[in-house]
Amino acid sequence: MRRLRYVLGLALGFRLLIGCNHRALPRAPIAKTCAANRVGEVIVVGAPRSSVAPLTVLEGTLDDRARTERIAQIALERLRALGYLNAEIAISREASCGTDLVAEIALGPKFRIARIDFETDDAFPPATRLALIEDALGTVNTIGGLYVEDRLRRALRELRKRYADAGWLDAKISAPIATYDDDGTVRVTVPIRSGPRFRIGNVRAVGGGRANRDVIAALGLTEGDYYDKTLVRAGIERARKQLDRWIQIRVEVAEDRTEIDVEAIVEAR
Amino acid sequence: MTGGLLFVGLTAALGVACSHPQYLGAEMPAPCRNRDLDGCLGWMVERDLVAAELGVYDQPNLRAYVQGIANRLATGSLLASPPRVLIGDRDGTYATVGERIVVARPTLERLATEAELAGVIAHEMAHLEGQHTVASLFGPAPDDEWHETRRDAEAIADERAIVLLERAGYAPVAMARALRSVLVVEDDEHPRRDERIARVEAMAVGRGGFEGRAELFAGLDGMIVGRDRRLGHRVGDAWVIAALGIALPLEPDDVVRADEDILIVRRDQATFTAYVIGAPWARELIAELDKRDVVTSVHGRVTAGTVARQASHDDTPLGKLQRAIRATLPQPVTGSHVAILERSHGALVLELGGHRVPELAVRAATPAEIAAALPARVVIEPAPRAGTLAAVGMCQGRLLDNPDRRVAIGDPVRCADRTLGTRGSVVR
Repeated sequence: MRRLRYVLGLALGFRLLIGCNHRALPRAPIAKTCAANRVGEVIVVGAPRSSVAPLTVLEGTLDDRARTERIAQIALERLRALGYLNAEIAISREASCGTDLVAEIALGPKFRIARIDFETDDAFPPATRLALIEDALGTVNTIGGLYVEDRLRRALRELRKRYADAGWLDAKISAPIATYDDDGTVRVTVPIRSGPRFRIGNVRAVGGGRANRDVIAALGLTEGDYYDKTLVRAGIERARKQLDRWIQIRVEVAEDRTEIDVEAIVEAR
Repeated sequence: MTGGLLFVGLTAALGVACSHPQYLGAEMPAPCRNRDLDGCLGWMVERDLVAAELGVYDQPNLRAYVQGIANRLATGSLLASPPRVLIGDRDGTYATVGERIVVARPTLERLATEAELAGVIAHEMAHLEGQHTVASLFGPAPDDEWHETRRDAEAIADERAIVLLERAGYAPVAMARALRSVLVVEDDEHPRRDERIARVEAMAVGRGGFEGRAELFAGLDGMIVGRDRRLGHRVGDAWVIAALGIALPLEPDDVVRADEDILIVRRDQATFTAYVIGAPWARELIAELDKRDVVTSVHGRVTAGTVARQASHDDTPLGKLQRAIRATLPQPVTGSHVAILERSHGALVLELGGHRVPELAVRAATPAEIAAALPARVVIEPAPRAGTLAAVGMCQGRLLDNPDRRVAIGDPVRCADRTLGTRGSVVR
């Protein structure tokens, strides 16, 4: 009895909730519409319906064979983008309430990245390399994630920029190589030819008169250290704050050395 | 002493444990922390509209009404739960990842019945059902094939909308009328307008259902008509921003161009561009200004400076996503000089250009200026007698309804609360 009251209470609560949030329907909803030229049900075999949403949404739409083929191809590409690289979709038709579409899906293994190797022995921080290519909130191009090549290529362009910022001005990053294993794993290799790492050459300040020496000290850049754009930026910020002057930096790659000369242009007072 | 240290240490530890990443001044929700890309992006899109672009039209009863229609349609859809509906203040109705639908207020103006509105929502809901928005995220770069895919998706969404309308008890014939009212321009991403209308008309023929003119009109009662001028409107010799309660005086020799709520002025050798953004976004822009100069005036805090290049290297997946989304928000270009005036409801951005800094002044808008900048609103009035609206002659100069429509005594008629200008608004 207590249990029945509880169930009744729940039902009443639910009814009240519905009553609060929804108006009564002016007419009873139509359950199903049959028409000879429309798709009836989309029956999915071999995979969850949600995995082929572009196909299931065809329920009730006009039955257009050519379009259905194109949509099946899109659904297949989506499955492959989700890691089912060997997936296949076969569509057949059955006369029913309209024309039912039967989508038989062979998913195959879901491929995930098992290893990512950067073929290089340079000193660029390995964790930063991995972090830069990790995508889509950590679900793509990371260990355990999906491999999406065009997104990796885009990330590698950013990585190339970071190499330059860290002093490897001539770094070359080649296209990634993916190797697929039967167990559903992908190994990704990224060849990098980093070249020489440039160092800081001459550091000088101009325009600030007697303040020039203080500017150089505040910049904190030492000749012979590896060039690092982040450190240069931090140095400018520090110098501006300490000396309360407008400072701009000009950097120039030396012609005959693997060095970058730094010149601070200081606001005159 | 040790107890105090322990307490401080514990508080700090709890603070670290409980601190969640922020985006535009709000704590990021669970999807952003749990690798739910769609859920996180949907939330960010909504946050952008609310806190940066001021693109959400805030009228709770209207939002609840439109959400109610979406809830009803969702029961017959493939979605596990109804999508969240927002009313956008600018033109453009769309579905976004994270199961959100933005229904543009200008779209609402053009519709005549609840069934037509349900048709528009059902079309967007079909995009969510088919995950058309998700597909585009990981899909290839746009090419001819991509355009064909988009056209297929649009045609499917139209046809599927008919199904959702039928299942919810709405008259599917309303879909063709909705398309006629809403579709203005042709593009490569959509099938031709005539083709779309003919297809849904053929599907809906002979099928009845609920129309709901009075219901739609009741839902739209009080809604702003046309552009929301509160974000910027010229009143006499001033640019009045009623939403912030301020005015920018204009000089007789100024060359003034207004593009909706963006003001561009050439004054002597200088130019300035003025527009309003959300307060949280303004705070983030201010934090990135170089050579900052802060002045507190009676109208609020003014920060002037140069827009610095983004130096942040947050390489976490969330950091990268935030950086990518922030790049799409309204903002001055790197290296430009700006002044940002912060007010409680938003901030005025002044981008300064030209050979010298212009003389600029901001003053409080007068009550008359604010009244002049307020937009017209929808009022629903009963027809005093039967006949066509043109013959009845009600709402002279204020009619927001089809003058050829026949009404009976007491039928609701959509009008504006004041005489409309030459803009013409929504008469169908």
